[in-house]
Amino acid sequence: MVGIVPEGAPTLVVGGKRIDGRAFDELRPIRMEVGVLNRADGSAYLEWGRNKVMVGVYGPRECIPRHEADPFRAVLHIGYSMAAFSSMEERNRPGPNRRAREISKVMRHAFENVVLLEQFPKTAIDVRCEILQSDGGTRCSAITATALALADAGIPMRDLVTSVAVGKAGGELMTDLGKEEDNFGEADMPLAFSMRTREILLLQQDGLLTKEEIQKMIRMGFDAAAKIRKMQVEALRRKYK
Amino acid sequence: MRELIVPGEMIAESPEQSKGTFIEAGKTYSAVLGLYDSETNRLIPLKGAYIPQADEFVIGVVEEARFSSYNIDIGSVYKGYLSAKEVREDLKVGDVVAARVSLVDEVRNVDLTEPRLLSGGEVIAIPAVKVPRVIGKEGSMLKMLEQATGCQILVGKNGRIWISGQKPDLAVTAVLKIEREAHTSGLTDRMKAFLEKGGA
Repeated sequence: MVGIVPEGAPTLVVGGKRIDGRAFDELRPIRMEVGVLNRADGSAYLEWGRNKVMVGVYGPRECIPRHEADPFRAVLHIGYSMAAFSSMEERNRPGPNRRAREISKVMRHAFENVVLLEQFPKTAIDVRCEILQSDGGTRCSAITATALALADAGIPMRDLVTSVAVGKAGGELMTDLGKEEDNFGEADMPLAFSMRTREILLLQQDGLLTKEEIQKMIRMGFDAAAKIRKMQVEALRRKYK
Repeated sequence: MRELIVPGEMIAESPEQSKGTFIEAGKTYSAVLGLYDSETNRLIPLKGAYIPQADEFVIGVVEEARFSSYNIDIGSVYKGYLSAKEVREDLKVGDVVAARVSLVDEVRNVDLTEPRLLSGGEVIAIPAVKVPRVIGKEGSMLKMLEQATGCQILVGKNGRIWISGQKPDLAVTAVLKIEREAHTSGLTDRMKAFLEKGGA
């Protein structure tokens, strides 16, 4: 979307509420589970609204391809991929397309800021995210789940990473866009934070926004991420009761 | 009361070097999932890959035998290097050796020394972070295991454990039970009862 509401688009705000009845700052229901894959060093499964994400972490292990190995630090390989059956609309071809490769890259940038890579020279830490079902906000789901999977693998990090998307739809600023709000709204801004330091590790923008709108949206993002981080900590604690 | 600590959680207002932590702006934070021991004021990591350090006692398996050296799998992404000069009788692939880490350099090349071939028995692997629990305070848990099972149990810092003796199955079951319940309290008493019942 480019900031102009296309013809035939559904009305996204009705009577001061969103199409699924949520308040503008309300998150969809999120469910997190840690340590779900036996063969991975760390793993997490996350449901966010109708999104379903599975993440497996392997490493630190031998860096393949060998020429990518760094003598001073681990190399972080992050692969975001949508399963062939993930989209509720078309039967898409499996494997990473351009969008998936971009998401993999920005995810890697985000996590390179927090993972203590210098502790594992010459190795690779391989992260594989599979989107099993997508309904708007899969990269935020993938990032939030990846933080859990890395913690489950015992990969040392400066902080958990927490992600959420804020956007503008039907003329209103709102948190956690669903698929229709993402597709037919005016703007979408995925964010990821290190909540401990309040640093922004990922910020992307799709659509047109004023400076004031962006500032407000980032604040809304922080507020929502605070709630999500609590859930991440709780999911980790549940594993070790 | 030990609460689970998550990455990024502060554990000290002053800089304290210890495994699984990092220091930022003069404060110490946990980098991994762990438990905070209020008695010793330290973090006990619950998860993490084994990174060899000098002077550690490890148990490994010969992975590769070359002309003048051996590559030893010590359960780390970093393999141990053992010079043939150190070994009295030639080793072959699959042999189990106990050794000491003599040196780890800045690119994590790991040199091993004082090798000892371990014959017979069996080797199991647990995460290196759980080893202190298997040994117990001043070796109390390990002593209890050895007495109850009539086995010699060598515990490598790398999480590889060699068991040889009368009741190795009981020893293996007991060690795996400790590994599963390492994060809980009252484990020593529970293990005592478990061993007295012969592993029930």
